[in-house]
Amino acid sequence: MARMKFLCDADRCIECNACVTACKNEHEVPWGINRRRVVTLNDGKPGERSVSMACMHCTDAPCAAVCPVNCFYTTADAVVLHSKDICIGCGYCFYACPFGAPQYPRVGNFGSRGKMDKCTYCSGGPEPDFSTAEYEKYGSNRLAEGKLPLCAEMCSTKALLAGDGEMIAEIYKQRVIKRGYGSGAWGWKTAYRETVAI
Amino acid sequence: MKAFLAAVIAAVALGVLAMFALTSSQKFAYQAFATSGARVSEPGTNLVGPRWNGDPRPDEFNGEPHGKAEGAASQPKRS
Amino acid sequence: MRRATTFLSTLLLAVMLFAVPGALSPAQAQNPIQADGQNPMGARPTADSVNEEFLFKQESKIRGRVSIPDGKSANLIQPQGREYQNFRERWLPWIGALVILGMLAALGVFFLFRGRIMMEHSQESGKKILRFNAFERFTHWMTAVCFIILSLSGLNYIFGKRLLMPLIGPEAFGALAQWAKYSHVYLAWPFMLGVAFMFVLWIRDNIPSKVDWAWIKAGGGFIGKGHPHAGRFNAGQKGVFWMVAGFGAAMAATGLMMLFPFALTDINGMQVMQVIHSVIGIVFIAGILAHIYIGTLGMEGAYDAMGSGKVDLAWARAHHDLWVEQEQARTGSGPQLKGHPAPAE
Repeated sequence: MARMKFLCDADRCIECNACVTACKNEHEVPWGINRRRVVTLNDGKPGERSVSMACMHCTDAPCAAVCPVNCFYTTADAVVLHSKDICIGCGYCFYACPFGAPQYPRVGNFGSRGKMDKCTYCSGGPEPDFSTAEYEKYGSNRLAEGKLPLCAEMCSTKALLAGDGEMIAEIYKQRVIKRGYGSGAWGWKTAYRETVAI
Repeated sequence: MKAFLAAVIAAVALGVLAMFALTSSQKFAYQAFATSGARVSEPGTNLVGPRWNGDPRPDEFNGEPHGKAEGAASQPKRS
Repeated sequence: MRRATTFLSTLLLAVMLFAVPGALSPAQAQNPIQADGQNPMGARPTADSVNEEFLFKQESKIRGRVSIPDGKSANLIQPQGREYQNFRERWLPWIGALVILGMLAALGVFFLFRGRIMMEHSQESGKKILRFNAFERFTHWMTAVCFIILSLSGLNYIFGKRLLMPLIGPEAFGALAQWAKYSHVYLAWPFMLGVAFMFVLWIRDNIPSKVDWAWIKAGGGFIGKGHPHAGRFNAGQKGVFWMVAGFGAAMAATGLMMLFPFALTDINGMQVMQVIHSVIGIVFIAGILAHIYIGTLGMEGAYDAMGSGKVDLAWARAHHDLWVEQEQARTGSGPQLKGHPAPAE
């Protein structure tokens, strides 16, 4: 099976935020929640770079480990998903997440904070594929349709790559060789404990 | 025993009181983390509402506001 | 003429743009691309970009700017989550199990070795003296009931998925954990109130004194025979009082930080709060287990103080002789059941 990963080529990202918008539209993500976001580093200074970041679907995912109710599971494609039926909204996954991916419908951590929401790698949740329940809780399931996450699919500069880790690493490697520079695979060391060797 | 029962009742009562006090001060993500830019639906709902059936025929909306569109639950939007 | 001036000033500016950065930064002066005239500043905005390694050298996490109003999302990478994961999943369950089971084992060994500390009867047996009035008992039990539910629901955060979830299945456990979380965050408030009440009620009887030192040196009646002198609270009870006050305050402070996440701290602060809250919570539970043991099973006659509020006079004279003397001096003589039973002065 493929090991699904995200790779954002910061040398190509133009901070258009189309990935953010596409994600929000595809999954009908509620207001105030951003499954994907674009962070600009060194904003306004020489060497400024923007990185599109969402859940990285980590190896040995910290969110899944610290969850007190074990609501997380990893699919055969190594996508980290969670069950909103079991989630209690305690917030531990947000404390553990190196990428700030988990978000909650309410801000205070008391009572009904709501179920955690995060990037699903466009692959829904534990409900049956394409069911209404799955769509309402997690958004559409593009992976089951044989499609890759929409954010990466529609990226205008092809900065955001999604797919099998080895394949996207190879694409990135070739780009770096061709153009002669690259700021690296952001977050890979933290998420996958390896980086793209060039 | 009386003191114990009173204590249990007081604990539950204070807990319920705390629940109401805290819930009333609970802030939603759409209040805390949304900009005041373009608004096309009621805050807190999705653009097309939770029961949108994915079929953009005009008769689906029946004059209802976008955010409150009610429709028969059916297949979700496919793209 | 005017044209020549403009040309000259442009040329001067161009020379300065070339020369000044080159003079100021030797690193950029070595840059070969500087010479091609494409980029007079000498920087290579395409190749000379920020990178992860460089940013991690400056700060332990990578932060940037986002256009959404959620400030937390400006953190791009915060690898400390891995350390938090390591503590919470690899250390905390062991710490919790060792401390709590260790305390239970120690109490079991003590019970086997020392047995129940029995009441010593005297001619005063059967007479009663009021030890805790209704409000004191009310406060104690309100705090105690909350504490038991808080500790069980708190331990559920650590051990629930390991012990309970395989037994009852994920759906039932999810529902249970949701209710446990509700009770944890709402019963925290009467608990905090109870701790505050107890602190005000009993602090004047819990100031450490020389008698306490003698009590500790004599083994407190646990070891050996006879009872050392003690006021209304002996050194052991004072220890419990100060533990409840101190740990209660620490739990309240860290717990409030977690109830209002990111109000005062950032993500690393939240991780630290959670670590402190869990470690103190475990030690607190172990301490209260000892308190429950000695107040019920471990000592005959002790439970009445919080049960009915009235203890046997013989027990009181054996365990809290100085307090009995004070009480009797204050209210005339003999055992009293009426009158104001406020803490002795």
